[in-house]
Amino acid sequence: MREKALSILVLVMLGTVSAQKVTIPIPIGVSVAQTSNVALLGREQVIGAQIAEQFFNSQGGINGTPFKLYFEDTSGDEAGAINAFQTQINRNKVVAIIGPTLSQQAFAADKIAVEAKVPVIGPSNTAKGIPQIGDFVTRVSAPVAIVAPYAVKAALKLDPNIKKVAVMYAQNDAFSTSETGTFQDTVKAQGLEITTVQKFQTTDTDFTTQVTAALGTKPDLIIISGLAADGGNLVKQLRLAGFKGLLIGGNGLNTANVFPVCQQYCDGVIIAQAYSPTAPGSLNAAFRTVYKNTYKREPSQFTAQAFAGVQVVVTALRALDKQKKLDQWDLPELRVALMKQILSGRYNTPLGPISFGPDRDIIQESNYVAQIKMDADGKNGKFEFLK
Amino acid sequence: MEAFFQTYGFLLVYMCLQALLGLSTYLPLMAGQLSLASSGFYAIGGYVAAILSTQVFHTSGAYPIGYLLLETLLAGLLSGVVAVVVGIPALRLRGIYLALATIAMVEILRVVSLNLSITGGAVGIFGIAQPFSSPLGYMWLVGPLLLLVMFFAYRLEGSRIGRAFIALREDELAADAMGINPTYHKVLAFALGAMLAGVVGAISAHFLNTWNARQGTFDVSIAVLAYVLIGGSRSFAGPVLGGMVLTALPEVLRPLKDLRFIVDGLLLMLAAIYLPQGLANPNWLARRKTAPVREKT
Repeated sequence: MREKALSILVLVMLGTVSAQKVTIPIPIGVSVAQTSNVALLGREQVIGAQIAEQFFNSQGGINGTPFKLYFEDTSGDEAGAINAFQTQINRNKVVAIIGPTLSQQAFAADKIAVEAKVPVIGPSNTAKGIPQIGDFVTRVSAPVAIVAPYAVKAALKLDPNIKKVAVMYAQNDAFSTSETGTFQDTVKAQGLEITTVQKFQTTDTDFTTQVTAALGTKPDLIIISGLAADGGNLVKQLRLAGFKGLLIGGNGLNTANVFPVCQQYCDGVIIAQAYSPTAPGSLNAAFRTVYKNTYKREPSQFTAQAFAGVQVVVTALRALDKQKKLDQWDLPELRVALMKQILSGRYNTPLGPISFGPDRDIIQESNYVAQIKMDADGKNGKFEFLK
Repeated sequence: MEAFFQTYGFLLVYMCLQALLGLSTYLPLMAGQLSLASSGFYAIGGYVAAILSTQVFHTSGAYPIGYLLLETLLAGLLSGVVAVVVGIPALRLRGIYLALATIAMVEILRVVSLNLSITGGAVGIFGIAQPFSSPLGYMWLVGPLLLLVMFFAYRLEGSRIGRAFIALREDELAADAMGINPTYHKVLAFALGAMLAGVVGAISAHFLNTWNARQGTFDVSIAVLAYVLIGGSRSFAGPVLGGMVLTALPEVLRPLKDLRFIVDGLLLMLAAIYLPQGLANPNWLARRKTAPVREKT
């Protein structure tokens, strides 16, 4: 009995891979947070992936072969992400995985995919070091370091007299803490003075302490790195306390969800965007129309990035299918070839043209800076391009 | 069979780790101390292992098991020391007040780890070296540890100290009057639980490959308390069973897609209503065992 158990374990550890063909429709995994407090982002990603599934399948899928998305919920934690990835790889036998939602989850779960040699595309992982997890990891989300500096430059263009800058960030949010670092470096590089750095939590609602401390230093510009609810509230409270200068919101505020939070006080906030709904390109127009018709609002960055993730996999599969019909491939062989193909391509996505560098990280050619313009009643607004 | 282990190897080990975490909350509860601090010590343990393995021990290839054992030892010791320091003043509080104080401790640890650069801030520490080639490999470490701790808890329940714990739980004044030192025993129970949580944290950091401030939070405290309450708080089998069942349930229910957490919650509610003593009811097990004891008295 003991020998048997031992031999099973040894077999498992060797990770014996039996040659299996790719199933039709081609299975592609999407593992994002459909539950937990991260689901606010995860649901947007599910919608983006579903729009892509419909859109590309109606174009004939992969040169006539349909593909199917398998959704496995990661929930909000690391263990959930690992469980979802295991299910995708071993049960659903997917050719690639799009996910997970959070960078922290990626650090835990991507390792599993790397060991199984399954391509992973991070739809919203922006932390430093994501592609470095392993050979099979890449992302369609531009790392924070790239997007943030544009916003500071745009603010300086609007008001060249800016000298003093106050910086505020959500210290319990991984994205915001990395983003504020980039913002602070940019501010220093522009020769401006950082008067104070204030921290808050994404769960905070009252920012009196931070607002008083920041306004006490008489800044010309305030830069906020946070998420929609806390960032929006902070904007509102800064304006109510009498701040008249320019405000920059980080990428976490790049969502229409901030409008109901700060209402008319949102007006004029400069936002660094990795995606803009009004970006040119016929694919973005088609994507935006489908989204707007169903949900009656503008698509968010998370939706567009998930769409782009599916698009990258489908485009790469189409190229491989031309070399050899997909149902002729062995699954492990296809997974390895797919990763190579993904990295070598250039893709015209709703995010603009993207490709991948030698370090497997995304090269996103267009980044956007927008300014929020609120309607007169302060209920609705839009992001207006700054060039 | 092989495919099963490939898919669920991670889950099986994770179930054992959560069972151990359940036991770490059960130990102070044995002495009547409602402590939610386990997740805090779990976080400390995880950071000890994460920092040591990424910044102190530089290795290439598979991470030596010896280093991992050393980390777990240090994590356990550090957690134990912190528990004694925190426990002596905190354990003057009772019931819900102690629970609040321990929540405060967990929250302080979380904010500290968010603000230190050595703990990696909000992103945390990642790329932690792996001693085993697959998640299931951790079973060689976690399996024996769980059995060992279960055996320890089983023996503890029958020992002098264990009986002192139970006496304190039932009536602290009466126990004090009978010559049981309440402070000593309460701190001992608290520290034992803390050491166990620290050890589990150290293993978990390797197991999850990353460690961050989202690991030992209030949410984890509540989840672990649920292991004990749903599993049963009157014998060591309760937290073990509770930890395993509650961890496995969301994965077992995965085919239900969006409904899985609704069904999960429903099952927990039914368990709480119809099995108020927990899944592992000692009365069922002990019916045969208690008979001879009664003869003696």
